[in-house]
Amino acid sequence: MGEVILTMKGIDKSFPGVHALDHVDLEVRKGEVLALMGENGAGKSTLMKVLTGIYKKDSGTITYEGKEVEFKNTREAQENGVVIVHQELNMVGDLTVAQNIFIGREPKKGLGIDDRKMIKDSQALFDQLHIDIDPKQKMKELTVGKQQMCEIAKAISHKAKVIIFDEPSAALTEKEIEDLFVIIRDLRDKQLGIVYISHRMDEIKVITDRVTVMRDGTYVGTLITKDSTKEDIINMMVGRVIYEDPKTHSMVPKDAPVVLKVENLNAGRMVQNVSFELRKGEILGFSGLMGAGRTETARAIFGADPKTGGRISIMGKDGQLHEVQIRTPQDAVKAGIGYLSEDRKRYGIIVEKTITENSTLACLENYMNGPFINKAAEKKIAEKYVKELATKTPSADEMVVNLSGGNQQKVVIAKWLVKDCDILIFDEPTRGIDVGAKNEIYKLMNRLASEGKSIIMISSEMTEILRMSDRIVVMCEGQKTGEIGIEEATQEAIMNLATRNID
Amino acid sequence: MEKLKQNPIVKKIGLNRIILVGVLILMYIVFCIGIKGFAATGLDHIRNTLNYVYFLGFLSLGVTFVIATGGIDFSIGPVMFCCALMAGYCLNSYKWPLIPCMIFAVVIGTLFGIFNGWLVAYMSVPPFIVSMASMNIAKGIAAVFTKVQSQSWPQSKDPVNGWFRNIVSYKGFPTGLVVFLIAAVLCGILLYNTRPGRYILCLGSNREAVRLSGVNTKKYEMLAYVMCGLLTGIAALFFVAAYTTVQPGYGDQYNNEAIAGCVMGGTSMVGGLASILGTVIGVTIISLLQEGILAFGLGKDFQLIVTGIIVIVAVYADVSARRRKN
Repeated sequence: MGEVILTMKGIDKSFPGVHALDHVDLEVRKGEVLALMGENGAGKSTLMKVLTGIYKKDSGTITYEGKEVEFKNTREAQENGVVIVHQELNMVGDLTVAQNIFIGREPKKGLGIDDRKMIKDSQALFDQLHIDIDPKQKMKELTVGKQQMCEIAKAISHKAKVIIFDEPSAALTEKEIEDLFVIIRDLRDKQLGIVYISHRMDEIKVITDRVTVMRDGTYVGTLITKDSTKEDIINMMVGRVIYEDPKTHSMVPKDAPVVLKVENLNAGRMVQNVSFELRKGEILGFSGLMGAGRTETARAIFGADPKTGGRISIMGKDGQLHEVQIRTPQDAVKAGIGYLSEDRKRYGIIVEKTITENSTLACLENYMNGPFINKAAEKKIAEKYVKELATKTPSADEMVVNLSGGNQQKVVIAKWLVKDCDILIFDEPTRGIDVGAKNEIYKLMNRLASEGKSIIMISSEMTEILRMSDRIVVMCEGQKTGEIGIEEATQEAIMNLATRNID
Repeated sequence: MEKLKQNPIVKKIGLNRIILVGVLILMYIVFCIGIKGFAATGLDHIRNTLNYVYFLGFLSLGVTFVIATGGIDFSIGPVMFCCALMAGYCLNSYKWPLIPCMIFAVVIGTLFGIFNGWLVAYMSVPPFIVSMASMNIAKGIAAVFTKVQSQSWPQSKDPVNGWFRNIVSYKGFPTGLVVFLIAAVLCGILLYNTRPGRYILCLGSNREAVRLSGVNTKKYEMLAYVMCGLLTGIAALFFVAAYTTVQPGYGDQYNNEAIAGCVMGGTSMVGGLASILGTVIGVTIISLLQEGILAFGLGKDFQLIVTGIIVIVAVYADVSARRRKN
């Protein structure tokens, strides 16, 4: 194995309310693939952001090629050969592939841009990687997999010595993942240092040489991949946390009443003829690759985005299904639906307001005293849910910005419980939540379901889907490709449906 | 300093506001020492300052609502003049009685508020563009309507309508101050203790989160502009009650002054945070400053320069305070 090219030692980083990194170590060597593993919120991405200068570390040292460095921004990191390939692709859709690769450093020809050289250089990069992409094509016309290849080509064009892949496989089909691995092995043989972030255990075994595990923002340990078992790694990742037992069979009676019926829902390219039923007391998992149209489906049901067709029926007080017109979130909330967005900070909470103000936002009309807000009653209900959900905060008057991700999520849940919604749509409920709080959210969801609430849970984590769902709807490219009961559900069966439309 | 911040009274009022009051007092003392005769004719200067406080205060209260939503309104000054000119023309040329003219002025302001609010909230036109455009529209309408003539409102000697000027001062008693403070208290109640106020503040922080909580954000965003228009109409009455005459084609400078007073008081330009008390103090500082600059023998142009600088400094302070927080 090659010499050490990059060492991070004792890296410490805090955000308000969260100690994101607690003296973390990392060592990358030339000519090897290092897996960086850990549950959501373990601090993997934060560590990489510290490395590439997106975040400034509080303490610790970074040694790169024998010198101590602190990159001020990603550009400086790139210029020195440390490049990150993000999970969310940073591409401009309307520009061509070549223009994207050379964005910000276009080759000059007189006063203009030397397009021909740009295309030639891009082609050379693709040839080197054995990728078949036309540099003159518009970026938005490519599949997610191909776009990712372009990101890699861009990384290489920076004369990268260390490439970090941040969950590259989340949006890829199996075939695309295989192609990706061929490229990664090729890069490794060229003596680059590679960091591969993922939580798909199978991939780790196939592609990596060593595994560094993080948990709760701390460094747990490093293993040689071929000498360790899946169980070893999982034990290190999960540690003291004991999760809710995975469901093996559904407790929801087969004849439980349907509370939400969606028929032939259409909303743009991402939602085509989606139909399903949600039963009382059930957790209905929505699985699929990134960009499969699950969030779009949820937003269309909730009225957050316009729909072009379809019928939505909801169980009324009389126990019968009635068709409802949902044109705005207002209509949805009135019908008893609550939506917990995957992007809490943007769509879920108001960080600059207090827990109390956030909790009553969906039904302030119930906490009025004539024309005036009854602040005492409002605070009382907020405090009740702080207690009930075990939200960690000094008081209900605390600004939400000072809470950790898990506790912020609890504030959003409280908002919909205060409103007394019967149907809750959880979109990636544990994204960005630390490991301890994650299980609390799981427990809470199970409790809500057993109390008769009905839950739609969108999740990209296979383990989460298999642990929580009573039934699983799988989507691919805007269409529902199947529905599996938890009894028959396996990773393979779900992946199969999730990539059904893609060749 | 930390200890002081934790004091319950300080916390309630806000340290920034207390500092602002200090600045206000300090400024007055500096003017008294630095300007010959400022202290001697102190009452006159205070009266002049107060006259300025009223109309500017109403403008500033109004724009506080708009800024709380994360928007901006650059039309308030010219709209105020438009209200005063059109209603004044009705008074002088159509010989309307005074009361209908006063109502008419407020109605015009409110209509502008509805127009601006509808475009911003329902048509999604950026507030900057909307208010720039309606600023010109207001100037244009006022000029066309009055045939480009200045309008005079009643003098105090006027046997029928002379009482009009009592709304700013009655036998030396500052009635305007009382009216303004009552209005400020009402605005405070509206903003902090009612649903519309809560929604306006929340949507200024995170519009999408409020919308996805099932709140009709468009309605409440528009309401902020309507409030601004209404208060602009009232500001027009206090302007003419203090200065009697208005000329077409002006009013722009009061935009900056009103916005400066508002932002200085702690209302954040990015929305979500608003302080009515801060606006009241901020406006008083701006008014005293205008008076001080004149008393120094420096002209109107210096007022423009100083107000411009204040806006930049206040907004910069707000932005950098936020950056430190994050």
